Amino acid sequence: MKTERNELVQVAKSLKTQGYSYLVKITAVDYEKYLDVLYFLRNMPAGKDEVLEVQIDPADAWVPTLMGEFEAADWYERELFEMFGIEVKGRSMERLLLEKWNGTGAPLRKNFTWNAPYETEGS
Amino acid sequence: MSDLNTIVSTYLGVSGILAEIIGIVAYAVAVSILIVAFDYVFGWVERKTIAKIQKRHGPTYAGKYGILQNMADFVKLLSKEHVVPKRADKLLFLPTIPAMLALSVFLIFLIPLTPELIETNIGLGLLVILVLLSFMPLIIFANGFGSGNKFAAISAQRSVVMLLSYEIPLVFVIAAVGVLANGYTLSGIMSAQNHWWFVFLMPIGFFVFFIVMLAELERPPFDMREADNELIAGWLTDVSAPYYTLALFLDYTRMFLGSLLIAILFFGGWNGPVLPPVVWLLLKVFIISFFIMIVRATTVRMRIDRLLRFGWTWLLPLSLLNLILIYLLFIG
Amino acid sequence: MAITRINIGPVHPSTHGVIRLVADIDGDTVVNLEPHIGFLHRGVEKLVETRMYMQSPPYMEKLDYVAPMSYDEAYVAAVEKAMGVEVKERAMWVRTILLELQRIASHLLWLGTMANDVGQFFTVFMWCFKDRDLILRLLEEASGARMFYVNMRIGGLIRDLPPGFDDRARETLNYMEKRIGEYEDFLEKNPIFIERMRGVGVMNRDKAIELGVTGPVLRGSGVSYDVRKDNPYYVYDKLNFEPQARSEGDCFARYKVRMLEMRESIKLVKDALSKMPGGDALGMQVRLILPSAKNREVTLSREMPRGECMMYMVADPQKPYRLSIRSPSFINLAALNEIAKGCRTADIFAIMGSLDLVMGDADR
Repeated sequence: MKTERNELVQVAKSLKTQGYSYLVKITAVDYEKYLDVLYFLRNMPAGKDEVLEVQIDPADAWVPTLMGEFEAADWYERELFEMFGIEVKGRSMERLLLEKWNGTGAPLRKNFTWNAPYETEGS
Repeated sequence: MSDLNTIVSTYLGVSGILAEIIGIVAYAVAVSILIVAFDYVFGWVERKTIAKIQKRHGPTYAGKYGILQNMADFVKLLSKEHVVPKRADKLLFLPTIPAMLALSVFLIFLIPLTPELIETNIGLGLLVILVLLSFMPLIIFANGFGSGNKFAAISAQRSVVMLLSYEIPLVFVIAAVGVLANGYTLSGIMSAQNHWWFVFLMPIGFFVFFIVMLAELERPPFDMREADNELIAGWLTDVSAPYYTLALFLDYTRMFLGSLLIAILFFGGWNGPVLPPVVWLLLKVFIISFFIMIVRATTVRMRIDRLLRFGWTWLLPLSLLNLILIYLLFIG
Repeated sequence: MAITRINIGPVHPSTHGVIRLVADIDGDTVVNLEPHIGFLHRGVEKLVETRMYMQSPPYMEKLDYVAPMSYDEAYVAAVEKAMGVEVKERAMWVRTILLELQRIASHLLWLGTMANDVGQFFTVFMWCFKDRDLILRLLEEASGARMFYVNMRIGGLIRDLPPGFDDRARETLNYMEKRIGEYEDFLEKNPIFIERMRGVGVMNRDKAIELGVTGPVLRGSGVSYDVRKDNPYYVYDKLNFEPQARSEGDCFARYKVRMLEMRESIKLVKDALSKMPGGDALGMQVRLILPSAKNREVTLSREMPRGECMMYMVADPQKPYRLSIRSPSFINLAALNEIAKGCRTADIFAIMGSLDLVMGDADR
């Protein structure tokens, strides 16, 4: 199900009231022309999945947070920010989750190049 | 020191103050050798037996059946660098482990190992031992806070909490023993068990005392002070190799001490047919230590707050009940 | 009382892998427990984008080094789904058997380490490792390797089960059934163990769904969702087993769910061994992998020992354009802070043990 990022929270809320209360995963795909952010929701007892798809511009990459609806979104959103450089608005991102390196850029973007010295900094 | 005096003067032909000094030194050396031998042998027995319980082999390479493994470990640990953490309070941190070891050894000196040598039997022997034994958690507390490590600090806190949970039941049980034996001398307690061991006369008291001893000796299920899965090594976290060797020695020496106390207070001490008294005593000590070791291999660590609750809701009433029962049955 | 901040790990006896926990402790009560992960982050998702499809299974296996077969299978199944390839009938049965054997092996390792975490002095740990070895031996017979199998091929397996596998597997499983009973006796008859597990780290049903936990952790909280039953793949719908769930939501429930799951897996493998058809199970040696255009995006769920793993793959010819792995440990670990709030210091490790975390899986 395709949706706009401005409507995302609304759509997620309405889906939650329909029983889609389990967030399976938030991930993204970099199609270079646009970024595809995917929200996998599940209607838990029935096990039915619903995928929310948000297409965003790589130059203006941000999505609203779903923390208010799903607590499980926390780490996925942090991962999203780290791996795709997609800013998640409406929540704090106090530290990086997975990576401990000195470079810049989002590793899972297609145009990513390694630009850090080959040593890591203790967090 | 009459008995030692006579032995020394008969065999060496010296008398007076010289004989006394020689006697004391000889006794101290003999007991020290005994302690070291126990530590060594029991360390090996524990490794092998726990290995058998866990379906492993245990040490096999060093010496026959791995008997030299502990020696190898000892030498290896001694050859390591001694590091004192910068943040440690050296006055509290450094002397504590040697002090505890010395205290344990001294307590064993206070215990008469054979009826012939009861001069080590001081008037209120059991009470002196009790007082000094209660001192140990405080030393651990000092060490834990002195090392400046947070894990050690938590361990130190736990040490005090444990002290709160088991010290009073321990006193009550010892009081009951004193009532039964009509005194607190260790030899008196042992001779009072000529016919009936106290374990049969007060099983409840034995139960409480055994649990308290497990806690006192930091043996599982009450090893929350060391708790290697939680606190890395508890109060020993920052202790480096040479002192850690001492700590291992301390562990087994305290186990020897604890088993000795259990054997004397509840299993008749040196009482037994045919074999000489000291052999009976050591045999009982060994069996009790063995049992403590089996407990180690088969149980799960208790949580500290549960121990506190257990101490106050079970051990304390049980020990009090034990004391009252003993008083009513044998005195009243 | 002042709040103490202690740092647990990344080198600590019971973190099982490299994870760092920063615990804020008020007296003996945990106020906040922040997991710092990423020590085993190897960028596998990026790595597979640069590799041919069938070069990747070894990387997949290293994600969850306790249950490598399940990741191997999930990845290959995703590729198969993208290609639109049907798996051979017998290969489906063999895969099911191997996956369930892998589940038993993984749960045995979990049991040992969890018993260690609550202060068991290595006894259960050693027994479990010894018994796990018997399962590994079976897997070795089937695949040729003890730990990293790389056993799956497109449409089937690298090799069929060897002759006599049936009998040996049955023998091992009978023995294992007896042993699991022994473990349960050993632990559950110990009141201290029950005390350490029961009522510790409680997560109720709604909270579990909210936090998105999976697998035995979710089922321990009363949500009976098992991909094998609710969204069956391979031959799980033809086999006789019940998904296990408990409603308490504490550490003991999670422990019990896994113990019961092991029994179910044994039942399942035995059932599969008796119903298994003959025929060919060998996979194809595919040099050129061209996914069909309509299947470019593939979503695939698998019930792994640690929980549900979802593979989301955008397939290009020869190489995946994007592979996103929803790893069960990651989301279970994300719930740790919520579960551990308010518990005792010693319970942190019981809860960690009951979550069954593999850091390679969480960090990817």
